[in-house]
Amino acid sequence: MEARRVLCHLDDLEDDSTRGFDPDGQGRDTLFVVRKRGRVFAYRDECPHYRGTTTLPWRKDGYLDSSAEFIVCAAHGAKFEIETGLCVHGPCLGESLPTVSLSISQDGKVIVEC
Amino acid sequence: MNIIGPDLLVFGVDNVDDCTLFVTDYGLEGRGNGRFEALDGTGLLILPKGDPSLPSALDTGTTLRKTIYGCGDAQTLDAIEAELKKDREVKRLEDGSLETVDDLGFTLGFQVSTRRALALPAEMVNAPGASAKRPVNSIGIEKDARPRPRSLSHVVYFVPDYARAEAFYRDRLGFITTDRFHNTGPFMRPAGTDDHHTLFFIQTPPHMKGIEHFTFHMGGPSDVMQAGTNMVNKGYQSFWGPGRHLFGSNWFWYFKSPFGCNMEFDADMDLHDDSWVAREAPPGADTSQAFLLQYREKWAPMGGPPPGK
Ligand code: FES
Ligand SMILES: [Fe+2]
Repeated sequence: MEARRVLCHLDDLEDDSTRGFDPDGQGRDTLFVVRKRGRVFAYRDECPHYRGTTTLPWRKDGYLDSSAEFIVCAAHGAKFEIETGLCVHGPCLGESLPTVSLSISQDGKVIVEC
Repeated sequence: MNIIGPDLLVFGVDNVDDCTLFVTDYGLEGRGNGRFEALDGTGLLILPKGDPSLPSALDTGTTLRKTIYGCGDAQTLDAIEAELKKDREVKRLEDGSLETVDDLGFTLGFQVSTRRALALPAEMVNAPGASAKRPVNSIGIEKDARPRPRSLSHVVYFVPDYARAEAFYRDRLGFITTDRFHNTGPFMRPAGTDDHHTLFFIQTPPHMKGIEHFTFHMGGPSDVMQAGTNMVNKGYQSFWGPGRHLFGSNWFWYFKSPFGCNMEFDADMDLHDDSWVAREAPPGADTSQAFLLQYREKWAPMGGPPPGK
């Protein structure tokens, strides 16, 4: 069942940064948001390489490469476009991270439907 | 040929600080200039990816730039040089080591091994009926232990042609196949070690060519569990494990790493000699592990009835 959930406030997200969230209390982050040049994107923390059975970062919130240009999977170095989630390098080339629909409320709340 | 196993893995990375932090927490000791060592002196060299001393990268951009094998003696180096010079360039570097490229394009080094002999007990267990056991009043586990990696164990490559890779290491360098996953790749050991494998290949499309994981031997299964738990407690993220493999019988726990490949802890690998006959199995969950566990936060069933009863 889909539910609207407030993850955080826009001010909690620095530009060129990412943050993982565990909205269902699973004990590990299941989705993450990226803020880039003021825009915010959200994806499930599931690498397409093994059909979504493994997560991306090597440590909490470590979803970006050092230049903050791509989302990376630390397991085998797959790179994904921040804006689309499309894998442009690595094992799952051409596949995409599952998107999470996201909206920002007028008062700046970051809301996902999942 | 008396090749013992990998002495040093050389990486070119764009995040040296992250990698340094990661391998330090993993338990390697920094020796300066990007070098990190296990207890026996085998280890890693971590350099910024543009460092001019690095061999060129594979076009896939994998961070592993060179695998340097330790050999038992100088005659082995001469023999490798003579053999590989037949069809490729083999450089003698200033330090006396050899540098060349294998049939898949991975840069290799060979040196007289710099590893130190270790004299450490393995993890000892008590079991009814067994005579070898931990001495009386000797404690099995300490809550705050930080077990250290002992020795560089093995490296695994994604390759587009495992048969070609296997043929090169077998026919040119004397490696022996100990077991294999059907249509996937062989586990191989060089002739100078009895470890089940120091090398394993996984067949993939060409765009994946590169390192899949690397690992160090620990002192026993409890070391693997405790070192892995220490990693989890520092915020690092498990990829696979803990568990125990079937081929090789090694305990494993893999962590995602800032190298863009997995870094494993392993322990208690099978040893083999030339009388061993390689087994073969289809690849899959059921053939790659005897059991697989998953970390959870510490918890204990303590106390009486539920509150209010
Ligand atoms: S699991 Fe993500 S790249 Fe392999
Ligand atoms: Fe391994």
